[in-house]
Amino acid sequence: MAKAFKYGLKGISGFLEPAERELLRSLFADVISMLEPADRGSEDPLAAMIGLDMEVREPSDRALRRLLPNAVKDDAAASLEFRQLTERSLRESKIGALRAAALGLDKDELVLTPADARHWSTALNDVRLVLAERLDIRDEADADHVHQMQDWSQAEDVESYLALVYNFTTWLQESLVQAMLQSLDTRS
Amino acid sequence: MTLSVALGPDTQESTQTGTAVSTDALTVPDVPWNLVIWNDPVNLMSYVSYVFQSYFGYSETKANKLMLEVHRKGRSIVAHGSKEQVEQHAVAMHGFGLWATVEKATGGDSGGGKRGPGKGKGKRG
Repeated sequence: MAKAFKYGLKGISGFLEPAERELLRSLFADVISMLEPADRGSEDPLAAMIGLDMEVREPSDRALRRLLPNAVKDDAAASLEFRQLTERSLRESKIGALRAAALGLDKDELVLTPADARHWSTALNDVRLVLAERLDIRDEADADHVHQMQDWSQAEDVESYLALVYNFTTWLQESLVQAMLQSLDTRS
Repeated sequence: MTLSVALGPDTQESTQTGTAVSTDALTVPDVPWNLVIWNDPVNLMSYVSYVFQSYFGYSETKANKLMLEVHRKGRSIVAHGSKEQVEQHAVAMHGFGLWATVEKATGGDSGGGKRGPGKGKGKRG
């Protein structure tokens, strides 16, 4: 069983079983593949270099739309303009955090620097946002319903399996954030 | 937002009183754009508070107050600034996975963050 992240002298440390590492590795990889932009050979290389993407559209997939949300409510044109300027770099920074977290899984000891911890917390959060869309969590009642699923022996279909995975990543992120809050207290 | 599920003996709240006022300088009242954070059932309350503390430099007290406003009212104005400033904040919030939008500060706002002179909400005497 995984152990909750703890803040101590060495920084933030945790422990994960090999199977849990494998699970997280595949979850991080899934979200990375969702975020990787489609390869467009014809695009303007200068625009690409400075992070512009004039071809970008609001994602049709709900989970991707939650990762890359509209920045102006009820204004599609303004949101699109914002996307053209920012979405590419947002995708890249999310992918960067997910890759950094995945890389950390290769080490035996899970000891996180402050930068590692930030990457882990956003990577776990993005994984949870995607799982929550797949589980159709729309409100607090849905979240409570999913939260009740705690027993791995009950995992008999894809949905209950996803719910268990969601609850595991929730628990892991919560313990990490508590350790990060403690490290903020200590520094201030 | 969702409640924490890893509560333990080491998660007791510490009430902080000394630093709540100083961070108000970050939210200058006379600038025309707002950064709004919206509630969702996924983001952890602790994580949202952590983001407000670490990114905006808000005190624990102020971060928790804003986090609870998001949770209870569905949205909260967490920062003000020029259009460019709040847009930059919005990208950062999306990077953290929070659902943020930008809006002009003027015009009817039914949210909880309506500003008024001398209101002094949340400040200590």
